[in-house]
Amino acid sequence: MSDRTENLLLVLPGLLLLALAFFLPIFQMLALSVSGPGGPTLEHFARFLGDPFYLSVLWRTVKLALIITAVCAAIGFPLAYIMARVGPSLRLWLVIMVILPLMTSVVVRTFGWMVLLNRSGLIPQLFRDLGLAGRSFNLMQTETAVVIGMVQVLLPFMTLSILGVITRIDPRLEEAARTMGCSFLRTIGSVVLPLSLPGIVAGSLLAFTLSASSFVTPNLLGGARIQVLASSIYNSVTQTLDWPFAAAQAVILFVGVILVLIPYIKLTGRSDG
Amino acid sequence: MVKAVPTSIRIAAIVFVVLTALLLLAPLIVVVGASLTANQFVSFPPQGLSLMWYEKVLSSPEYLSSGLVSLMVALLVTVTATLVGGAAAIAIHRKQLPGSQVLASLFLSPLVLPTIIYAIGMLMFWSAVVGPVSLPVLWISHTVIAMPYVIRTTLAVLSESNPFLEEAARTMGANRMQRLWLVVVPQCAPGLAAGAFFAFNISFDEAVLSLFLRKPGMTTLPVQIYGQLEFSPDPSVAAVSSIMIALTIVLILVIDRLLGIKKFASA
Amino acid sequence: MANVRLEDIKKSFGNVKVLHGITLDIASGEFVSLLGASGCGKTTLLRAVAGLESVTSGSVAIDGQTVTELPPEKRDIAMMFQSYALLPHLSVSENVRFPLRMRGIGSREEQAERVKAALETVQLGHLAERKPRQLSGGQQQRVALARAIVSKPKVLLLDEPLSNLDARLREDMQVELIEIHKRLGLTTLFVTHDQEEALSLSDRVVLLNGGRVEQQGSPAEIYSRPATEFASNFLGSANIIPVTIESTDAGPVAVLADRQRLQLSQSEPVRGPARLVLRQEDLAIGKSGDIEGEVRTRVYLGARNRYVMVLAGQPVRVLSGNDHVFTSGEAVSLSIDPARIRVIAD
Repeated sequence: MSDRTENLLLVLPGLLLLALAFFLPIFQMLALSVSGPGGPTLEHFARFLGDPFYLSVLWRTVKLALIITAVCAAIGFPLAYIMARVGPSLRLWLVIMVILPLMTSVVVRTFGWMVLLNRSGLIPQLFRDLGLAGRSFNLMQTETAVVIGMVQVLLPFMTLSILGVITRIDPRLEEAARTMGCSFLRTIGSVVLPLSLPGIVAGSLLAFTLSASSFVTPNLLGGARIQVLASSIYNSVTQTLDWPFAAAQAVILFVGVILVLIPYIKLTGRSDG
Repeated sequence: MVKAVPTSIRIAAIVFVVLTALLLLAPLIVVVGASLTANQFVSFPPQGLSLMWYEKVLSSPEYLSSGLVSLMVALLVTVTATLVGGAAAIAIHRKQLPGSQVLASLFLSPLVLPTIIYAIGMLMFWSAVVGPVSLPVLWISHTVIAMPYVIRTTLAVLSESNPFLEEAARTMGANRMQRLWLVVVPQCAPGLAAGAFFAFNISFDEAVLSLFLRKPGMTTLPVQIYGQLEFSPDPSVAAVSSIMIALTIVLILVIDRLLGIKKFASA
Repeated sequence: MANVRLEDIKKSFGNVKVLHGITLDIASGEFVSLLGASGCGKTTLLRAVAGLESVTSGSVAIDGQTVTELPPEKRDIAMMFQSYALLPHLSVSENVRFPLRMRGIGSREEQAERVKAALETVQLGHLAERKPRQLSGGQQQRVALARAIVSKPKVLLLDEPLSNLDARLREDMQVELIEIHKRLGLTTLFVTHDQEEALSLSDRVVLLNGGRVEQQGSPAEIYSRPATEFASNFLGSANIIPVTIESTDAGPVAVLADRQRLQLSQSEPVRGPARLVLRQEDLAIGKSGDIEGEVRTRVYLGARNRYVMVLAGQPVRVLSGNDHVFTSGEAVSLSIDPARIRVIAD
C-alpha cells in the first residue's frame, strides 16, 4: 500500500457520506424545485415570486436579517474589543459566557425568551413599572421579539469572528495613536475599527445567512402572524404537503445564502480549523 | 483592562459587559428558575420553590422516550462522526492527496449551509429513495452536520504536532498500521475527544433536522420540547430544558479540559 | 555494523536537481560527516540513505545488500532528528523501547535490559519514567540518541542533531558522541553545517557543494589541504587575495595588487595569476613583518581580537592575541609562515 492509498482509504468513508447523504439530497432537492407534472418547469418559482404574500414573507425575512445583523455588529464589536484587551482570566470567563448560549439547544434558549417576553414576563413588567407601556403590553408575537431572540443566538458568532481579527491587531498601534494625540474613543474609531473590518464583515455575512434561514426562534417568538421564509417552507412541507413548492422556496433561500457566503468564504479563506 | 483608559469609558464598558451578559445568559437563567416553581404556570421569578416538575419530567413517558431517542442518536452520531471525521482529518492534514485544500472546504461545508435547507433536502431524498423516516436517517443526517466539528478540532490539534514524528517512527521500523495507531492517533487524541463531545452536543441539541425528520413515536427531546412550546407549556418544559442546559455545561467543561476553550476564542 | 555504498546517487525534486551523482563508500564502523552549507544536498543524501527520500537514479547498499527500493522501516537503520522527534505521549523508556518493539527485537525482558543499558549510556537512567515535555532540550536529545543506538542498527544516521542546543551543551554532546562511537563502533553518517563539529567528530569528512562532493578526506587532510577556494572558505576562516606569482632567484614570489611581494614555499608549483588563501589564524599581526596594511576595525572577542584591515586595497581579517592592541588607522605588518600559504591557480 502506498501513502496515497492509505490517505484515500482514510478519507473515503467521509467523502462517501458527504456525497450520498449531503450533496446528493441537496441536488435532488434542486431537481425537485423545477419538477412539474409535465417536465421541468419554473412554475413554483413563478408562484412564489408572483404572490405578494410570499414576497412580503421574503421581504420580512431579509429585513429582519439585516436588522439582526446590524444589532449584532453594533454589540459584537465593542464586546470583542473588550474581550481582546482584558486579562486572560477574565477573557476566559467572557469566552465561556459567549460560548454557552451557542452550545445550548435553540429550543431551550427561545423558551427562555418566551418566558421573559410574554405578558407576565419580566421585561414587559419592567416597561410597565417604568410607565412606558400599558396593561396588556406583550412583546411576544412581534418582530421585536424575533430580533431580540435572534440577536442572542447570533451574537456569539459575530463576536468570535471579530475577536479573531482583533487579537491579531498589535496593541502598540493603539498606543502609538494615543501618543499622537488621539483620545481613546478616537483611537477605536480610526485605528481599531478599520482594522477589524474583515472580522465584522465576515461575522455579518455569517449572521445574515443564519438569520435569514432560521426557523425555530422566529416561529416561536413571532407566531403565525410573523412568517419568515423558513416557516413558510415548513408549512409547505408539513401542512400543505406541497413539496416541490417547498423545494423551490428552499432553493430561493439557498441561492440567497450562496450569494452571501461566497464573499464570506473568500474573506475567511480558512479551511484548517 | 487596557492602560490609559479614561474612567468614564471603563465604567461604560463594565455596564456594557453586564448588560450583554444579561442578554446572553438571561434566557438560560430564566429557564432554570422557572423550572423550580411550585405552582402550575411558567413564570419567572418562580413562585415558591419545588422540584416537582423535575419529578414529573422523570416520570413522563413522552419525555423519557424522546430523551432516550436523543441519547441513542447522539451516542451513535458521536461514534460515527469521530471515526469518519477523524480519519478524514488525518488524511487532509497529511496534504498528500491532490486538492487537500478543496477537500477541507468540502468537509466543512455542512457548517455553512443553513440546516433547514439540508433538512428539506434530506427529507425529500430519503422519502423518495428509502421510504418513511426512521432512526437511521436521523443518525446519518446528524453525523453529516457533526462531522465538520470533529474535523475542525482534530485538524487544529494536528497542525500543532511535530511533522517529523511519523518519519521518526518509520526509521524505527514501524509499518503503516503501527504508525497510524501508535503515533498519529495518539497525536490527535485531544482533538478527537473534543470533537466527540462537540458531536454529542450538536446531535443532542439539534432541533431543525429532527423536526423535519420525525414521525409519531420517534421524536427527539428538543422536538418534544418544541411541540410543547407551540401550545401552552407547563413548567415541566422548563425542567427538561434545565436538564439539557446542565448537560451542555458539563460538556463545555469537559471540552475545556481536553483542549482549552481559549482556542476557540479566535474562531 | 555494516558498510554503506552510495553509487551515483542523483535526486531531483520536480525540475530542481539537488544531487548530481554522488558516489560514496563508507567503511564498516566509520564515522563520516556530510558537511556543507544549507541547500548543498547533505540532508537529502542522508534521507536517501534512510529511505525517507527516493532517489531519481543510483543505488544505496547497506552491508552489501541493495536497499534502494526498500522503505525506511525495512532498512536496518536508526535516525536522530534535529527536532528530536520524541513521541510525546510515551515515557522516556517507552520511547527508547519503541524501535525494539517495532522491529521485534528480543523478548520483553531483553528489551527492558537494552533500554536500561541505552539510557545508562547517555546517563539518563533516572529519568526513565518521565514524559518528553518534562525534559530539557539537552535531555531530550540524549533520549533521541539512546533511542537511536538501542536497536544496534547497521547504520546510524544523524541529521544535524546538535543544532538546536546551546554552545556548552553542544560541546558536551559532541564529546559523548565521540565516546559512544568509540564504544559501540556503529557505522555513522552525520550531517552538519558546522565545520568544527565535522572536524572534531569524524573519521572522514565529505564536503558537499551544490549537490556534488567538493572534497573528502580525513579531518587533518581536508583542513590543511583544502583543494578549492570553496573548500578553503568553508573550512577555516580564509582570506582570498588575488596575486601574480613570479619566479625569482629566491624562489616563487606572490606579487600583490599594490606591488608588495610575499615569499612562497620553495615547492610551490603555480605561476602566473593565482589566488592566495591566508587563514585568519595563520596571519600574525605586528609592528614589523612580511607585508604591510592598515587597521580598520578591531572586534573584541574576549580571549582574542579580530582585526579587519586593508591589505592591497581589500579587506583582510586577522585573528590575534590580546597582548598588544592595535587601533583603527594604525599601520601594521602581517607575517605568515610560507608553508601555511595555500595557492589556488586561476
